Amino acid sequence: MEQGTQGNIVVRRHGREESQVDEERVVDLSGQVHLLPCSIKFNGPSNVSQYFKPKPTGIESEGLRTQEACFRGRKLQGASISVPDGYSGFVLGKKSLGKRNLSDNSDGSSNRWEMNAKYKSITYWNHDSLPSQDDAFLRCFHWLSVAKSMHKPATAEDLVSAAAALEKMN
Amino acid sequence: MGSEREAAIPEWASEPCIMGIDEAGRGPVLGPMVYGCLYCARSYQNTLSSLNFADSKTLKEEKREELFENLKADESIGWAVDVIDPRELSAKMLKKSKINLNEISHDSAMGLVTKVLNMGVLLTEVYVDTVGDAEKYRAKLSDRFPSVKFVVAKKADSLYPVVSGASIVAKVTRDRALREWVLEETAEDLHKDFGSGYPGDPNTKAWLEHHKHFVFGFPSLVRFSWGTCTPYFKDIAEVLWESDEMDEDGSSTANGKRQMKLSSFGVTTSKRKIEEIESSGKGRCKFFLARKLEQVTQF
Repeated sequence: MEQGTQGNIVVRRHGREESQVDEERVVDLSGQVHLLPCSIKFNGPSNVSQYFKPKPTGIESEGLRTQEACFRGRKLQGASISVPDGYSGFVLGKKSLGKRNLSDNSDGSSNRWEMNAKYKSITYWNHDSLPSQDDAFLRCFHWLSVAKSMHKPATAEDLVSAAAALEKMN
Repeated sequence: MGSEREAAIPEWASEPCIMGIDEAGRGPVLGPMVYGCLYCARSYQNTLSSLNFADSKTLKEEKREELFENLKADESIGWAVDVIDPRELSAKMLKKSKINLNEISHDSAMGLVTKVLNMGVLLTEVYVDTVGDAEKYRAKLSDRFPSVKFVVAKKADSLYPVVSGASIVAKVTRDRALREWVLEETAEDLHKDFGSGYPGDPNTKAWLEHHKHFVFGFPSLVRFSWGTCTPYFKDIAEVLWESDEMDEDGSSTANGKRQMKLSSFGVTTSKRKIEEIESSGKGRCKFFLARKLEQVTQF
């Protein structure tokens, strides 16, 4: 790696070992995570629910139940998406480098991230266009099934049928 | 749009009718813009002139309210309004392909003409205050409604009683809408002493200053597309829109370039990288390129 930094993610709170019970107490932000078509040059808490008021439109677009909201005067149209089975959404925060971690990070080349919350659904928003299956965000999820097929071990039957198909082509 | 006389079409509506159209709340930085119309039989024109409608702006509020109640009770007069929500004004003017205020105004006026014609009123003459170039506007209206004669004039609201009446309908409706406005936002320190909404009004200025929000800008009562808002935006968090990337000019071009594609499947990066990285899948095969999927190995 050139001058970049390498990172690791600790899917645990506060970086300490936690029991199963603690794990279940992780803040669940399902339904409260929004992906906006803009970049807000601010990181920090804000009274979102008092200002950002998504409303269902009753309109369905390509199987997506659409919602409407506005931000900074712009009309947004969005849809809530479940994180695919077998996956989870996490809100990560950069771990503050406390004294006890100094030794781990003495070379300063590694970022440590830890989970602050998790979510099973996320609402993504378009400016001015109805949510659609063609949206890049939704299409990202195609990778998950492609990756799954690619990494699935091939069975003997798969090989036989592939060989048969090849023969036919020749 | 609404009218209290929608159901029953009066008999006089099949006589040749005249209509006036006027607007209220075009200038203010907050609240709805209202288009109002008033129509009556041409034969009622003289009586209408005696009802002392003057341009709504020259009348006191109580007088306007009184005149509005009178004209509502007058069975020889019909009226309708189109209330354009400030959220709609902001949204249209900030669309990817922006719709300017003149176009919104024209559409509203034409909507009222359509509505009244569809009710079965025999409109022969319509008087409108000008918005933009008077002749172009007249041509646009005549083109759309060939059976109607349009008179587009500056100060139509003081020249034609039927337009003065429409201005009362519009102004009273806007004032009531603002008075009864329920703020969508639920933060505790919000109040409704926003004054007239005109940019020069000290109450409006104080209200804007007090209701400025670092992340959200303003409550949605405010028309974000108004130039009045611009100075306030200097003190709050900058927001870069994906949709602005293409057509921004001058200073913003540099910003557009730095914009982060939030559709990245990767993890939010360090501050330095937010400024520099754009997830594009550049250099990867078409599958990833089309999905803006970038490989993130360092974060």
